[in-house]
Amino acid sequence: MANATGMALRQVRKSFGSTDVIHGIDLDVQAGEFVVFVGPSGCGKSTLLRMIAGLEEVTDGEISIGGRDVTDLDPSQRGIAMVFQSYALYPHMSVRDNLGFGLKMANTPKAEVETRVAAAAKILKIEPLLERRPGQLSGGQRQRVAIGRAIVRKPDVFLFDEPLSNLDAELRVSMRIEIARLHKELGNTMIYVTHDQTEAMTLADRIVVLRDGKIEQVGTPREVYENPNNIFVAGFIGSPKMNFIEGVVVDGGVAFSGRTIGLGYTPAEPGTAVTIGIRPEHIEVGDGGEATFSVGVDFSEYLGGTQYLYATLPDGQSLIIEHRENSDIGRDTSLTVSCDPGRIEVFSATGSRIGRQR
Amino acid sequence: MSMTIATPLAAADKPRRRARKSRQWQGLLYIAPAIILVTIFFVIPVLFTVWMSFHNWPLLGQPSWIGLDNYIRMFSDTRFAAALSFTAYYTVIATIAIFALAFPLALFVQNERRGVSAYRTIFFLPVVVGLATASLLWVWLANVDSGLFSPILRAFGVTGRSANLLATFNNAFATIIVMVVWKIVGFTMIILLTGLQSIPSDLIEAARIDGASRWQRFRFLTLPLMRRTLALALILSVTGSVLAFDQFYIMTSGGPQNRMISVVYYIFNQSFVSFQLGYGSALSIVLLGILVALSVVQLWLLRVGDEK
Ligand SMILES: Nc1ncnc2c1ncn2[C@@H]1O[C@H](COP(=O)(O)OP(=O)(O)OP(=O)(O)O)[C@@H](O)[C@H]1O
Ligand SMILES: [Mg+2]
Repeated sequence: MANATGMALRQVRKSFGSTDVIHGIDLDVQAGEFVVFVGPSGCGKSTLLRMIAGLEEVTDGEISIGGRDVTDLDPSQRGIAMVFQSYALYPHMSVRDNLGFGLKMANTPKAEVETRVAAAAKILKIEPLLERRPGQLSGGQRQRVAIGRAIVRKPDVFLFDEPLSNLDAELRVSMRIEIARLHKELGNTMIYVTHDQTEAMTLADRIVVLRDGKIEQVGTPREVYENPNNIFVAGFIGSPKMNFIEGVVVDGGVAFSGRTIGLGYTPAEPGTAVTIGIRPEHIEVGDGGEATFSVGVDFSEYLGGTQYLYATLPDGQSLIIEHRENSDIGRDTSLTVSCDPGRIEVFSATGSRIGRQR
Repeated sequence: MSMTIATPLAAADKPRRRARKSRQWQGLLYIAPAIILVTIFFVIPVLFTVWMSFHNWPLLGQPSWIGLDNYIRMFSDTRFAAALSFTAYYTVIATIAIFALAFPLALFVQNERRGVSAYRTIFFLPVVVGLATASLLWVWLANVDSGLFSPILRAFGVTGRSANLLATFNNAFATIIVMVVWKIVGFTMIILLTGLQSIPSDLIEAARIDGASRWQRFRFLTLPLMRRTLALALILSVTGSVLAFDQFYIMTSGGPQNRMISVVYYIFNQSFVSFQLGYGSALSIVLLGILVALSVVQLWLLRVGDEK
């Protein structure tokens, strides 16, 4: 990790004309860290990444890379490299020239360009493609070349904007593993924007959940999954989405759908309306868990290893259950399901999570 | 198993082939109007012109077959040589002038800035004026007494007394070039603009990250990616210049000392002033050959054929 460099954002803001898109982001990225930005479409992930790259002007605030203020520097002088969703390969140049373009612009001696291009091509296993044009490559190969172009620059920070979203599912998995391997091999700081839950969970050292230009939570994949700060993060991370059920606080637990569930703590003043969150994968069929309730299954989806049951509680609120056992559960059946009260999250009316008094 | 599937497939094949055939006829039907128009207004006139060019063809009286004499005569025709060299000179200067201005203009109106559509409109406006109309307008603008330029030049002390801009070759030529650039540049600008806008912004951004300066991005990305558009603009500009006639006929009537006779002007003189229709036809055919050759050379230089 010799050339790993950290990065910091301080009160970074961005407005397009009179619309504010990014509202004061503070973030510290450690050297060598793999940080993933996730968030719903239009929340400003790309804009933030492009500001780090220097492609978008920073309206206010400061960006520093490796302790150096780069807020007003040219993209080429920030020590970054970017991989675009569209690959953005130069269509009229061979793969070799694409890889070497940046070095050529910097007047690097020919011999060094050669060695660095060869090294990058070797890492990405694209040596046989060097003489081809981008138009003669498959999507996966193009993305490799695009990543190769980033590697050749020997950047401090790699920036990826949804690099895999144009690939088919299978290729996406293998490229994801490739990127993880690359991160391990190069040890650079990487910032990665994605829509894909799996990419975020598997690649990230830390996940940054964004909404409407603000950070909702920063944490390891485990933290954002197990300890979401609020209802938005809880709903955004995890697939299928966490179940949200309307209920009220009672002494020592919560009540919903006519059932009282003891949580071992009183989340708020008894009688307060709250939202109760339970992940589909934490509900099991049968009465094995401590908190049991009965549901009616409306229909189910069979996915091979698992089955998603779309059920309703007696009061009509819907509930998704991930059922991993072999037994097939058809539609229109009544079931008893249960869960561990320790897995139940409680959110206040404002959406923030009400912590357990431990 | 395969038998049962193969049989209905083979049966289904025949109607499909018939459908394809009828679709081909449909295709022909669609391009028929174009073919008919091109035949009537291009192919037949060209063939007739070729036919005429082998004759001594006076306006009145019998045409007589003279074989290749018209073509042979061209080689010793010094006035034709002069017209050719003047046209070449004009084409080079006009094309350079148009591109030298159209490119910066296209780059200028490419970015979404305030009032950009107003600029585009203003630059394009002269294009919708006919060339003959524009020439007449500029004859007036360049008039010694009642025009616009002479008084302005005098007011700013450039010339001592009223100057006749169209009186000397250099001034008249410069005036015509300025007029043509004013008239044509908007059109070339729009063509170049479409080329510029077809370049994905991602590419430019990638190049910025790669550290390419503004000039390097232009040189290594914009220009090569605009090759087709450039070829189109260049061919239109060169063809237009080689065929120039109106401006010389209207503005200078052939210019001081008859030094502004373009090839088309010369053909016009031969055909409709001297009434040597056969010779005029031969000259036209040669001009057509020159234009085709020029276009081929330009397409080859810009390698439009090879795929990315
Ligand atoms: N050039 C621009 N001018 C005006 N508004 C813009 C511009 N670029 C982006 N925006 C707005 O900024 C917001 C954030 O856009 P951004 O592209 O960063 O979203 P995103 O999180 O990357 O979304 P997606 O996941 O769909 O890619 C959006 O509301 C978008 O409309
Ligand atoms: Mg985006």
